Amino acid sequence: MNALTTRPELRKKIVLLSITVIIEGVAFIFFWSVLRKTAATHMQASSASRTSDALPNLLSDLNLILPMSLLAILLGIVCAFYLEEWLSSTSWIRRFIESQVAFLTGIPSLLYGLLAVIIFFGYAGVFKATRTTFQHNTALFYTEMLIFILMVIPVAIKATQEALRSVETPIRESTYALGANRWQVLTQQVIPRAFPQMLAGGCRAMSQAFAAAALLTGIHIWSHTTGLRGLPDRFMLFLGGALLLSNASSFLTEIYVPASTQQN
Amino acid sequence: MQTDSQNGSQNTPVIEITDLKVRYGDSPALNGISFDVHQNEILGIIGPAQSGKTTLLKVINRTLEFTPDTTVEGTVKLDGVDIDTIGDVYGLRQRIGMVLPLPVGLPLSIYDNVAFAPRTMGIRAKSELNEIVERCLQQAALWDEVKDRLNSLGTKLSGGQQQRLTIARALSHQPEILCLDEFSIAVDPVTTMRIEEVLKTLQAEMTILLVTNLVQQAKRLANRTAFFLNGDLIEIDTTDVIFSENPANQATYDYVNGTFG
Repeated sequence: MNALTTRPELRKKIVLLSITVIIEGVAFIFFWSVLRKTAATHMQASSASRTSDALPNLLSDLNLILPMSLLAILLGIVCAFYLEEWLSSTSWIRRFIESQVAFLTGIPSLLYGLLAVIIFFGYAGVFKATRTTFQHNTALFYTEMLIFILMVIPVAIKATQEALRSVETPIRESTYALGANRWQVLTQQVIPRAFPQMLAGGCRAMSQAFAAAALLTGIHIWSHTTGLRGLPDRFMLFLGGALLLSNASSFLTEIYVPASTQQN
Repeated sequence: MQTDSQNGSQNTPVIEITDLKVRYGDSPALNGISFDVHQNEILGIIGPAQSGKTTLLKVINRTLEFTPDTTVEGTVKLDGVDIDTIGDVYGLRQRIGMVLPLPVGLPLSIYDNVAFAPRTMGIRAKSELNEIVERCLQQAALWDEVKDRLNSLGTKLSGGQQQRLTIARALSHQPEILCLDEFSIAVDPVTTMRIEEVLKTLQAEMTILLVTNLVQQAKRLANRTAFFLNGDLIEIDTTDVIFSENPANQATYDYVNGTFG
């Protein structure tokens, strides 16, 4: 809609984005092949690094991470709408949640990965005596879920809030002045205008989640359930996902021009 | 200038304001003003900046509620009903057309900008909407300029055109009261004259509150004129008296004659 830049500008940005993705892709494939070779030489005795084992692992990881991060983003968006549109700016609930969000978004994803390891071992330690594979996997699943939600939700909340704030007060006020109710203002003015930014925020949250997932694969080394099987592939998958999503996020942010700075 | 005898129901109060006080935090914006607005009149509201003119309009359509930390005391009655007791605030706002000083084109097409309010009121028939859009754009003296590009964006129009678009939008829900807050600020003099002519004809259908910085505009249009200063209503009287050689207050005389301060 009007929130996008002009067409020649857009073309330039798409070209730039493509160049970035190509460069990243080449570096990515190079890194991947090096990693695989290294892994192969260190695990000669076992069949762990056989590529044929990689695909099922990748799929099971994606199966876990995609629904979870989508759910987390959705929760984050709902939470942001509640904070921004329903609570007044002086409400203490809002202040409390916003301070927590600011704190959580400031933590680098590496620390989340380490936190996951600590939580996992602390939790799994409880079962140590009578540990079965099932309990072990359950512990792993809950740890991963917890860390994911902890990581993705604050980013999604913050991004959505910023998107909602970018819709100027005069636009809301003049829509209200036309007799529109809160729901109509939200669905017909605020959301369409905030959408590109919300999408970018969602991508950013996912990107962070994938970066953390790349780190989380590290837990699997200790967890013994999967061993080193397909580890380089999984690590690279998440790294690649994180890169692509962060590119998409910055692209979406760039093509969005706030109405206040738009030329007539 | 028009005379009071023009309309029979001229003296029926449609808005009754009693002892209205508004504060933004600690700073007062309106200090206890009381006056009536009569049916089908054009009430000019003049006064320097910071005198509470815009605040008054925002109280009437209850959009002041969006400004945090404001206190409103006193009563504003619309057709005898206290607006604070009206549960359906959206319905209240549909009865009042509002034109803000800085034009805010909604990021929609020109057509959708004008059709927005009728649609929220549940009008869906294309033919009816077309009719409303054409009538309102004509009344706002914008139809000839945009009739061939109704589907282009409202925000891409020039400042003056956007201002006229907001006027068309304010008329689209057929309000009983039309509040114009310095509508001519971005509009050229010729178009201003055309809109002023429209306002005179609209007077038969609705009551018009005209906040203006151009005292001559109030003189041309208004039946009665109110002079605001620092949140106080200094004087309200027929435009003839306000612009005569001897209004009740010296400050009024100084302001309308440009020798103020």
